[in-house]
Amino acid sequence: MKLVRNTVSAIAMIAAGAIASAVPASAAWDIAKAAAPYKGTQLNVIFLDRPGYRAIIKLLPEFEKQTGIKVNYEIVPYENTREKEVLNFNAKGDLSIALVDLVWIGEYAENGWIVPVDKFTADASITDPNLNLKGFFPLLLDAFGSWGGKTYGLPFDNYSGLLFYNKCMLKDAGFDKPPATWDELAKTYAPKLTNKDKKQYGYALQSLRGETQSADSFMRSLWPHGGSLLDKSFHSNLTSKESQAGLKFRQDLMQYMPPGVVSWDHAEAVNALAQNQVAMITEWSAFYSTLTDPKTSKLGDCLAVAPEPTGEAGRLPALGGFSLAVASQAPEKEQKAAWIFIQWATSEDIAKPYVEAGGVSGRMAVYDDPAIKATFKFVEPMVASWKKGVPEFRPRFPAWPAISEVVAEFGSKMMLGEVTTENGAKEIGTRMEAILQKEGYYDGKKALLQ
Amino acid sequence: MSNPARRTNPGYGRWTPFWFLAPAVVALFLIGIYPTLFALVTSLRQYNLTRSRDGFPFVGLANYQAVLSDPTFWDTLARTARFFLVVMPVEIALGLCVALLLHRPGLNFLRALARVTLVIPLATTYAVVGLLGRLVFNRDFGVANSFINLFGFPALDWLGNSAGAFAAICVMDVWQWTPFCALIFLSGLSMVPVEIEEAAKLETTSHWALLTHVQLPYLLPGFTAMLILRSADVLKLFDVVFTMTRGGPGAATELISIYIQRVGFRVFDLGTASAQALLLLVITILLARLYIRFFYREIE
Repeated sequence: MKLVRNTVSAIAMIAAGAIASAVPASAAWDIAKAAAPYKGTQLNVIFLDRPGYRAIIKLLPEFEKQTGIKVNYEIVPYENTREKEVLNFNAKGDLSIALVDLVWIGEYAENGWIVPVDKFTADASITDPNLNLKGFFPLLLDAFGSWGGKTYGLPFDNYSGLLFYNKCMLKDAGFDKPPATWDELAKTYAPKLTNKDKKQYGYALQSLRGETQSADSFMRSLWPHGGSLLDKSFHSNLTSKESQAGLKFRQDLMQYMPPGVVSWDHAEAVNALAQNQVAMITEWSAFYSTLTDPKTSKLGDCLAVAPEPTGEAGRLPALGGFSLAVASQAPEKEQKAAWIFIQWATSEDIAKPYVEAGGVSGRMAVYDDPAIKATFKFVEPMVASWKKGVPEFRPRFPAWPAISEVVAEFGSKMMLGEVTTENGAKEIGTRMEAILQKEGYYDGKKALLQ
Repeated sequence: MSNPARRTNPGYGRWTPFWFLAPAVVALFLIGIYPTLFALVTSLRQYNLTRSRDGFPFVGLANYQAVLSDPTFWDTLARTARFFLVVMPVEIALGLCVALLLHRPGLNFLRALARVTLVIPLATTYAVVGLLGRLVFNRDFGVANSFINLFGFPALDWLGNSAGAFAAICVMDVWQWTPFCALIFLSGLSMVPVEIEEAAKLETTSHWALLTHVQLPYLLPGFTAMLILRSADVLKLFDVVFTMTRGGPGAATELISIYIQRVGFRVFDLGTASAQALLLLVITILLARLYIRFFYREIE
């Protein structure tokens, strides 16, 4: 037995040696050596109070020890992050790294607040030869980090919309698998899973006014049904047959949702599933750890995860996430140190410990790891969701925050029945086109990028 | 007649009062006047922080024109007025009742205790009041539904429908600000000379007559101050509503300050937001002048 173990160890050592020698570039990269000129540099970045950030904070001491670069992070609620960053960039403040939500990438890039990565990749002394941009899911690199054909940020905190469900409740109702289509969810599953006397509901869609309404609720209702916010000429597409079908579908589905979902944010929807009040929710992959934690969830083994159902236009789940980009306001030395940090935080080497610590990496390779697949149930559906999707699930141009406000107001009013889907769509269309007109999209001043 | 201090103190010169006043004036200038002037200049420019690459050109009164022709501005202003007209009478009535109860002689310990506890809602941070509101009006676990269940009414989804959410923010405002009204009224009542009050009590047993003929003149200056402060406060009420409802559902609780915040810090159109804020300042000043004209009376 001992002989077998020794033989296996020897083979493993030889194999490791062979791999190391086969990748000479890897041996050449020494992060400590690359960071030596920047030792003592202080980097400032905004983080959120979410699992992906807690994960990197756990791993930070290792980076700081290796490089001597100090990363100062401030934890800020999501709602205030853009406000803080925009004010900081306008005031030429102290942020050296920008945390970029996918819907901010156009705004940040067009204002020149973030630096394209090719400025750094051209410098071999600070670029990991194994950076391997092709190792990111193309959808993520494209949606989270790129604008106008240039890459600015590397995907860091990555989400996909997933169907989280209580498989015990589904089983009790006679279902041994989750709904494959939205139609099936609404017509077959939700009626059977709803018992209003017991305050039990088939499905919940978080719809609080704000980005939750505009992104999680409104846009999620459009895409799978073939609808979209804008047509090819950047005019409203909300009165199209497909968009209206999606919005009406959401109205019909509300009869199987708990009353008051219009005031529900992510926390309420996740909690309703965790406390067995609803059978299914469509939420970001990042909430997996909340739903598996016995302190915050009663689900235990009843939790199951699947890709979002498909619609007439196919499976087009919600897409969200953040990239890290170097802030152009930072001094040159700080920019280089920031680039070293960003590469490290999003690298293939760190991907596994990052996922194990609760983060969701944007690297493809880590999800091939059988141990990761076995431990994290969300991996397979998430990878399936990232194989196809629409980067412009929410338009990423600078006008989105203003449009999001309009969508959130009238999207909520539609759900409350204060306006019809037709009239609400017209109101959104008129106001949205006025914003886009002001931005110069209709007089040829700006390229139609989203 | 010259001041004896000036004669005896050689350090007291012509500029001494100036130096004593200077720190307060400088502080007022820095935190009050300068930002207002800056807002005035900003309101005359195209000042969008997300389009800073376009510069901040002078646009004259275009921002004011845009605000005055913006239906959402008027809708939110009307909603804010409705909110004020709902909460203010309730706060005044309840505050007056509490003040009259605390003004009655006897039960000194309980009165002292009540005065202290009245300060608690006032001292609570606005955002915390909003978070408390979310809990109080939670459909499943909130005390609001437990309370109405006691009377046999079914649970309401307070924050999930327009009327319920508006009622919920009104209730939280009444909870927080009734003590303020009570304390202001109480201070007015404590200024009524005891001999006049006792003489009036010998003349009549009617509490209403005592209140309207003897106590009311002493309450009016405080009442006017209360109206001015609460009007300004309601026009800039943000934190409670934002943490409770974010202005939703729909636009049910979108007060004017929430709208200005959206324009200023979501759209970053600071030119328009400054114009809106300055128009609110004008409204506040006008209201204050009206209150003083119609309610304020010197005590003779």
